[in-house]
Amino acid sequence: MPGKTGEINRMDRRDFIKTAGGLILTIGSGTYAFRILSATGASVSGADNPLIGKKWGMVINLDRCRSDCTACLDACRAENNVAYHGDDRWDLHWIRKVKLEGEIGHTKVEKSVPLLCNHCDNPPCAQVCPVQATYKRDDGIVIVDHHRCIGCRYCMIACPYNARQFNFKDDEAWPNKDHPKRSHGVAEACNLCAHRLDVGKMPACVEACRNSGAGAIMVGDLNDPESEVARITSTMAVKRIRADLGTEPKVYYLGL
Amino acid sequence: MSLNIGKNKTIIFAAIPILIILILVLYGVISQVVALGSEPPKVVLERPDPKYDKCVRDTEYMRFHHWQLLREIREDVVRYGRRGEIGLNRCKECHTSREKFCDQCHKAVSMTPDCYGCHNYQ
Repeated sequence: MPGKTGEINRMDRRDFIKTAGGLILTIGSGTYAFRILSATGASVSGADNPLIGKKWGMVINLDRCRSDCTACLDACRAENNVAYHGDDRWDLHWIRKVKLEGEIGHTKVEKSVPLLCNHCDNPPCAQVCPVQATYKRDDGIVIVDHHRCIGCRYCMIACPYNARQFNFKDDEAWPNKDHPKRSHGVAEACNLCAHRLDVGKMPACVEACRNSGAGAIMVGDLNDPESEVARITSTMAVKRIRADLGTEPKVYYLGL
Repeated sequence: MSLNIGKNKTIIFAAIPILIILILVLYGVISQVVALGSEPPKVVLERPDPKYDKCVRDTEYMRFHHWQLLREIREDVVRYGRRGEIGLNRCKECHTSREKFCDQCHKAVSMTPDCYGCHNYQ
């Protein structure tokens, strides 16, 4: 009801509630919107993210990989503290070597193939992870945040390459004390030695392979046309394992 | 003799919250009195090995928020590959002993952070 004469500014209850409600709604939604907008504005994956623009990939030349050599496996274990108990049930393998036998024409061909996490561009392990512990870094490395992993093992089921493994037990051995190991109850896989790539070093397996004289494994930036890996993948007959699955793996095999 | 709730309904429903509040207040008062009587846990921290002039943040901040800082650093390293100088490895340089540094307070307040299952801090 409008006031009587002389009481122009007097509000009745209805007007007061309407104004107050409107005010609260405006201020509340305004603050909320500001918080959301400023949060996305300060997102860390912005311009100062050193990973953007890179795309790490690996090339394995099977013609140079010897079946009796385990240099990359040992180097990986020593660098990344991959658990080794001496028991097949609990051992973890970031790289494992598989022997392939076949025939080309009438000649028998035998090849030793190192298998590892393929760092898919479209990783099924990251899609199924319920806590987003597994994710694809901006430089294409598929990595596990072991702080977050709850050990549900969905990723092990999702991975078509069997690259994922689970820590059923704590490992006492700790060869590389500068690098963390994993405790019981998390899943893990090759992380392409992200801690070494970040500081400009090559992964442990690459160095070991080069030092052993084989030089079969190469890692480089697929987005950089100058790099050896990009040159090989664009000009030579490379194959990826189960490329038909649409996971877009980034480990390329020469001579498979 | 049957229990006639109908008449006493108001009293009963008023009494329930009052009782709950009373119990909570009593619990608070008693625990405070007990806490006043007992000695606070003694924490003796080792003098840091002075490799650097000062800590990465001031003492007051580190005392209450070191875990927040470590979590931010972890997020930076794990998610975005920004491997800076600050981290558990940097702590280790001055506060050389875990038993005499981290564990002292953690034990006193019954905290069991599981950093050291995976990270090396001797």
